Order: sequence, then C-alpha cells, then structure tokens
Amino acid sequence: MSESHGFNTNRVFLLLLGLTLAEVLWSFAPFPRWAVWGGLLCFAYAKGYFIFNFFMHMKFEGWIVKGLLVPTLPLMCIVVFANMPDTSRNALLVHELTQQMDPEHGKIVELDQTQRAIDSHDIKEAGGH
Amino acid sequence: MTSTIPAYDPAVDAPAHHHPIYDYDSGPPVDRGKFAIWLFLATEVMFFTGLIGAYLVIRMGAPSWPDPGKLLAVDITAANTFLLIASSWMMVRALDAIQKGDKGGLTRWLGFTVIGGAVFVGVQAYEYTILLQEGYLPNRDLFWSTFYAMTGFHGIHVCAGVIWMFLIWLGAVRGKYDANNYVKVELAGLYWHFVDLVWVLLFTVVYLM
Repeated sequence: MSESHGFNTNRVFLLLLGLTLAEVLWSFAPFPRWAVWGGLLCFAYAKGYFIFNFFMHMKFEGWIVKGLLVPTLPLMCIVVFANMPDTSRNALLVHELTQQMDPEHGKIVELDQTQRAIDSHDIKEAGGH
Repeated sequence: MTSTIPAYDPAVDAPAHHHPIYDYDSGPPVDRGKFAIWLFLATEVMFFTGLIGAYLVIRMGAPSWPDPGKLLAVDITAANTFLLIASSWMMVRALDAIQKGDKGGLTRWLGFTVIGGAVFVGVQAYEYTILLQEGYLPNRDLFWSTFYAMTGFHGIHVCAGVIWMFLIWLGAVRGKYDANNYVKVELAGLYWHFVDLVWVLLFTVVYLM
C-alpha cells in the first residue's frame, strides 16, 4: 500500500530512526530547559506525524476515518488543561502537589531533585503551610 | 396443459430474516473493521491522554522533580525505542507484501514484527526487575507511580499486540491471507502502529524531559 500511495516506507523508517537519535542527543544539549523541552516536543511531534500519516495511512484516508478522530482533539485539550486550575495551578492546596505522607514517619515530605528525602535521612517537613 | 402452484412451505418459502434487504450498502463507505478499529483507537487516545495528562499536571505543579536521566536507563530504552519503530516498519512491509500477493513475505515480515515486539516487552520486564530490586516500587513517590502507570499500561498494550500479531502470523503460515483478503492484517497493523506512536510520546515525556 505504501508504495502505491507514493511514499517510500524505508525512507520514513530511516527518518524516524534519525529523529530518535537526534532527540536523544538533544536531550543532553546544554541549553535552557525551555529550549530543550521545546525541541524534544518538536521531535516527538515530527515522529508522531510520520507514524500517524504514513505508517497508519491517515494521510490517505477519507473524511469518515479522519472525522472519527476530530472530536478527540478538543477532548485531549480539556483533559490536560482543564484540570490544571484545580490541581497544579491551585494556590489554595493544603500541600504542594508532589508532597505526600511518608509511611514510615507519618510526616509530609516532598520529592527531592535526586532521591526521596528519606534516603538521605534529611526529611524536609513541609506540612506547615 | 395445466400448471399447478406448489403449496406454501414455510421451511422453504419463508424469508430467512425479517430484516429488509436493500439493493445498496447502508453502511459507511469504509471497511467496517477499519471503522471499528479507528473508533477503538480514538478511545485509546483518550485513555493515554488521561495518563499523560495526569503526569503533566502533576509534574507542572511540582516544586521539584527527579531527573529521569539519573534514575532510568535512557540508553537501553532508546535502543528499545529503535526496536519498536523497526517493528512498526516491519509491519508495514508485511502489509505491503500481502497486498502484492506475497504470502512468504507476509509470514517473514510478520514473524520479525512479533519477535521485535516480544523483545521490547522482554527489555521492559528486565528494566522493571532492576528498578524493583533497587527499591523503586510504584508506591515510592509520585514520580514512580506515574512512571509505572504509564509504561505499565503501554506494556500491557504491547503484550496484547504481540499476541494478536502472533495469531495473525499463525493464519499467515496456514495461507489464510492473500492479495484480496488482508483486512485482518491491516487492522492488527493499525493497532501496532498506534502502540508505537504512544511509545514515541512516552519515551519523550517520561525518559527525556
């Protein structure tokens, strides 16, 4: 089917491998976080575009199949963004989102940059706000 | 010359179905199987959007977050990602082969696809084993909870895909498919590419960001 649709399967495959390699290398680039993350999302979008349109043949489907997926796009945005004001962007939360009770000590601790606080025996209490 | 009208025999003369028979196809102008699989994939999109969305919401609201590159084996997983993409490409080759009537090509490429998917699951199981031995259990903290939830559900989908394609492969070995009968191969391929597509996003979001 792919050859009859006018695209070369092998080229798309090599392109996907190249994009994956470039994405991994980009993740180690010494750039600001916003630039690294933005680049990674662009790489992921490009790979998804090629898989979706060529491997899954969506580019060559009719309006019925395409129309099936159209309602999912606004729903996806709702799922991701509509929850943020109630959770991650809510200043009225009793504790920060990732703070949780440590089962061993019964105290509220938060994620450390490298390891959980309990590993370094340096529990950072954060239950006072 | 006389003609006799045969008596009405319900077993012979009664219509087999009560449904009206139209002289046109009342279904959508697309294969029903393909219509169904895309409808199913649309629900799967929402399922994984829920998981990834929850991860993003939690992470964006977190004052700090572990560096995945220091906790996860990015190099092994990158190789595993190559493997899954290659497996997806092999599936495309398998479908191409049977559309051209090449039954041997279908069996060969489909076999490679199944092996690729099985190895992917094996590597993920190995990664889980190492992480669990080091004490990184799902209930350790939110990072690990979201990690196991997303990669675990994806792994279940990969397992289902491997089993599905293995069954298709068995049919291919028996010569069940040909150039005019390959819809089941195409449907399994769509599911497999979707699994690949989800992993591309998960690898970026969970392992690299």
